[in-house]
Amino acid sequence: MFLINCPYCGERDQSEFSNGGEAHVKRPENPDSISDKEWAEYVFVRSNPKGIFYERWVHSHGCRKWFNAVRNTSTDEILKIYKLDEKPPSLDEFKHTLQTPSGEPELGSGNFTVKK
Amino acid sequence: MSAINNTKSFHLISSQKISFTFDGKKYTGFKGDTVASALLRNNIKLIGRSFKYHRPRGIYTCGIEEPNALIQILSEHSEPNTRATVKRIYEGMVIVSQNRWPSLKMDIGSINNLLSPIFSAGFYYKTFMGPKGFWKKVYEPIIRRTAGLGKPPKDFRSKSVHHYHNVDIVIVGGGLNGLIAAKKLINTDYDVLLIEQDSFLGGVLNNSKKIKDIDGQENVEWLKNTEDLIRKSKNIKILKDTLVTTYNFKDHLIAIEDKAVESAPTSYKSELALHKIRTKHTILANGHIERFISFRNNDLPGVMLASSFEKYIHRYGVVPDSNPIIFTNNSSTFSLLKSLVDLGCKPLAYIDYRNNSSIEKNILDFLKNNNIQTYTSSEIEGCDGTNILKEVSIRDDKKNIIKIKTSMLCVSGGINPDVHLFTQSKGLIKWDSKYLTFKPDKPFQNTITLGSASGNFNYQSLNEEVNDKLSFLKGAKEIKIKLNLNTADDLNIREIWETKHEKETLWSKSFIDLQNDVTTKDLSQAVSEGFDRIEHLKRFTTNSMGTDQGKISSINSLGIVSKILNKNISDVGTTIYRPPYSPLSFSAIAGRNTYEFYDPKRKTAIHSWHIKNNAVFEDVGQWKRPWYFKLNQSETMHQAVQRESRQLRETAGILDGSTLGKIEVKGKDALEFMNLMYTNAFTKMKPMTSRYVLMLGEDGMVKDDGIVSKINDQHFIATTTTGGAPKVLGDMEEYAQTEWPHLKVYMNSITEQFSTFNISGPKSRAIMRKVFSEVDFSNEKFPFMTFNTFNYLDTKVRIMRASFTGELGYEIYVPPKYALELWEKIFRNGKNLGLIPYGTETMHLLRAEKGYVVVGQDTDGTVTPVDLNLNWMIGKKKKDFIGKRSLSRSDTSKKNRKQLVGIIPIDKNKNIEEGQHIVEIKSLPSNIKEPIEYLGHITSSYHSPALKHCIAMALVKGGNQLMGKKIFVSKSNSSETVESEIVNPVFLDPNNRRLLS
Ligand SMILES: [Zn+2]
Repeated sequence: MFLINCPYCGERDQSEFSNGGEAHVKRPENPDSISDKEWAEYVFVRSNPKGIFYERWVHSHGCRKWFNAVRNTSTDEILKIYKLDEKPPSLDEFKHTLQTPSGEPELGSGNFTVKK
Repeated sequence: MSAINNTKSFHLISSQKISFTFDGKKYTGFKGDTVASALLRNNIKLIGRSFKYHRPRGIYTCGIEEPNALIQILSEHSEPNTRATVKRIYEGMVIVSQNRWPSLKMDIGSINNLLSPIFSAGFYYKTFMGPKGFWKKVYEPIIRRTAGLGKPPKDFRSKSVHHYHNVDIVIVGGGLNGLIAAKKLINTDYDVLLIEQDSFLGGVLNNSKKIKDIDGQENVEWLKNTEDLIRKSKNIKILKDTLVTTYNFKDHLIAIEDKAVESAPTSYKSELALHKIRTKHTILANGHIERFISFRNNDLPGVMLASSFEKYIHRYGVVPDSNPIIFTNNSSTFSLLKSLVDLGCKPLAYIDYRNNSSIEKNILDFLKNNNIQTYTSSEIEGCDGTNILKEVSIRDDKKNIIKIKTSMLCVSGGINPDVHLFTQSKGLIKWDSKYLTFKPDKPFQNTITLGSASGNFNYQSLNEEVNDKLSFLKGAKEIKIKLNLNTADDLNIREIWETKHEKETLWSKSFIDLQNDVTTKDLSQAVSEGFDRIEHLKRFTTNSMGTDQGKISSINSLGIVSKILNKNISDVGTTIYRPPYSPLSFSAIAGRNTYEFYDPKRKTAIHSWHIKNNAVFEDVGQWKRPWYFKLNQSETMHQAVQRESRQLRETAGILDGSTLGKIEVKGKDALEFMNLMYTNAFTKMKPMTSRYVLMLGEDGMVKDDGIVSKINDQHFIATTTTGGAPKVLGDMEEYAQTEWPHLKVYMNSITEQFSTFNISGPKSRAIMRKVFSEVDFSNEKFPFMTFNTFNYLDTKVRIMRASFTGELGYEIYVPPKYALELWEKIFRNGKNLGLIPYGTETMHLLRAEKGYVVVGQDTDGTVTPVDLNLNWMIGKKKKDFIGKRSLSRSDTSKKNRKQLVGIIPIDKNKNIEEGQHIVEIKSLPSNIKEPIEYLGHITSSYHSPALKHCIAMALVKGGNQLMGKKIFVSKSNSSETVESEIVNPVFLDPNNRRLLS
């Protein structure tokens, strides 16, 4: 369990928050004008990377406010938190922070405990 | 030989005598004794029977790593699998041994030992494969009876508590290193928590005589002074009897505190406390654990780890045996030798696997000067004895077998840094080829390891290590500690994991996991069967999967496997250590969240009236809702529901609908927001009117329904289903904040701000007139789906004309404070008009007669409004609303989707069951081999008192085109079917005459 720094309340325990999935998936403005496929992309398809992920969180047992976070999904490290109306940080900003818990490859699973 | 008391030097035991019962016999120990030290004091070495083979087992260690000495404590709600080596005795404690029948000394299950070929590696997966049905009837009952540990405890009410800490530094372990680290942090600006699993600080200073004196003071004196200093500091808190079990991300520790050490459970005191600790830095000074060596019958009671034997002498003042034999491959046993000689207890023999030239000269001299029988380049071949060790076989440097009679053997196979917590934190460990063990390498979190936990076994360098590793902490003082050592200079270990058997018999076993009865033979068998990856091998053999997680043996199994595979241990790797470090009682995890606190009960303002009037309650989410009201004790649910339904359609009934979710939506753009959230069109809706509404997901499926009341374009009140309220509010918030932040709109839950009554039936208008005499309830002034607010006493009530039963009906919204009084007033006025209370079951029946759906019963997240024939609720002219686009997707707009229809049996005496399939064949084969095509399933079914036969609703493929079609409904208890007909789901009053009357 990690801490999340709510931009409105400050650092709180993860259990106070709910994850809202991938951030910056914009709801199409004119749904009637797009194809079934494009609409289905919006409704059903989300990315699920190992590593840096832009996602939404809501302080559900707190201020009920939504905000965005950049999280390393393989370490659970939250790299940045920003409000909904703020510009998303560039991916380059986090490249150097990318690490995996056991030094395993950035892609693929694998639990290594022993350093070679 | 027997145990003797060490009267010379021990300080953790008081002279106060304590009596307790073990297997029905009374024994005496001293205050401060563990169950194990007290039993050893009484020369009891046989403690229990093993898991699979029911072999006799004794006390192997002196602490948390104990694999064998597990006991059941009858005087503590029969707590099972308690470590005798940790649990302290108290007056009147009642203990029994585990896993034996009929008695510990004569155990019938030990026949399993002779059946051991079938219990070998992977036996769970191989032996019990067939024939069919045998597992359930034959194998499982036998295994359940003979295998396993203690019996489940008795039901008891947990009094455990949870504590939360937010600190800067946690020091795990109050041994010498933990104390030096704490001393360094005294009066700094850091908030520090020092956590010690034992009742006392000091670790090695209590466990042995390895350190003669410290800073020129006696160990005890130094400990007392240091603890005083720490206690007086303003920033360090000490938690004793507290074990850190879990190291989570991010620097989040979970520790369990035994608050009832040395005392029987009481009805008022909490037994356990679960500490949830958030820290910035974690210092792991949690020490090391000694490992054993595998040899023939290395499980016999009387075999004990050497350092544990040493701990019993110094901590508890009991020498478990006056003349033991020592078997070692390293120099850590030197201090035990010295302690024994000091107490006049000369070891019968000293067996060292190392050769003469590699053993330190001071050890050899000591052995010679004290005339101790010494075998170097030698090993223990095996042990013999029934129920207890009688004789050991030594294989000397010339491979001769020498037998010596003894009742105790002390073994040391080396020491492992306790890396469990470090690897839980996802730190990487590395093989140390000098000390033959894994030690911490790269931390993943803010973790610092100190002393033997970090793989530093050299006491002289501890001081420097602590100063060095903690130098980054602001204000931490330089510490100088002077240790006067009484040990060998280094560990100086030689690799040995197991010794060879001289002869093979069924009784001869060399164990690698004592708790799970895994032998070294199982390991090689598993490898030969292809399980050569350590994670697979662990599961296949169950090695190190017991409650002790192989603390004294898991590295040994890696050593053995590496030899079989001819690989380096670092290439074999370790399995992953997972939390908890040691078993965690469920009662501690539950804390106070049990019984009524586990899940709060939500009660409406009318709850007490419902109880007085014999309501039977139904759980809806956390709410308690009246299900039906019993007229008398003998009335069945069916009778009650039929009676309530009939009566309501004749006169009137009232339902407590307070649990319905209520959400208030306000703001400049509330109208636009509501148009986007719901399928319905609200723009042309007149103020002070209401609508039945649907909310969809973006996938076009029905998620919730309710009634929206429009006060004006800037102010709406929406009701939701009882269970859907939090989700609907959450969805509204999400869309308002994330998708349409330009809309000025705010929403809040007002569910608990209003009690709601639904009064309906032909007499409801007459009753309402009597209760609210100043209100005009005529059809003209108060038409269907309108509402208004009226003064009532010194508050206001909102009354809406709406109905879910198909009868004339009203909903009353009143602040809960006034609710019960108003409810009773309605009853006083309605009594002569035949008003009855009704519950949710009657509501469900009445709505089914009208073909109204219940979201979550007739829908399941795959149903669109079109499937429900609710096209009229879709604001087709609206540009957008949640889920609109999905309704025109090829899949949602296709013709043959499942649609809501009514079903009635042809034979009106027959019943249709909810959840059953609808098929086209009259009789189903009793043994279904091929899939049977089915048209759909029954979603609701009731016996209609109005129609006097069963009515059902169903989702049927292309159902709208099948009106009048004969179909068959399956039954739960036979292959027969119920011949039925597809009909319109509105069974009663299709023209709404009753509703609009
Ligand atoms: Zn917040």
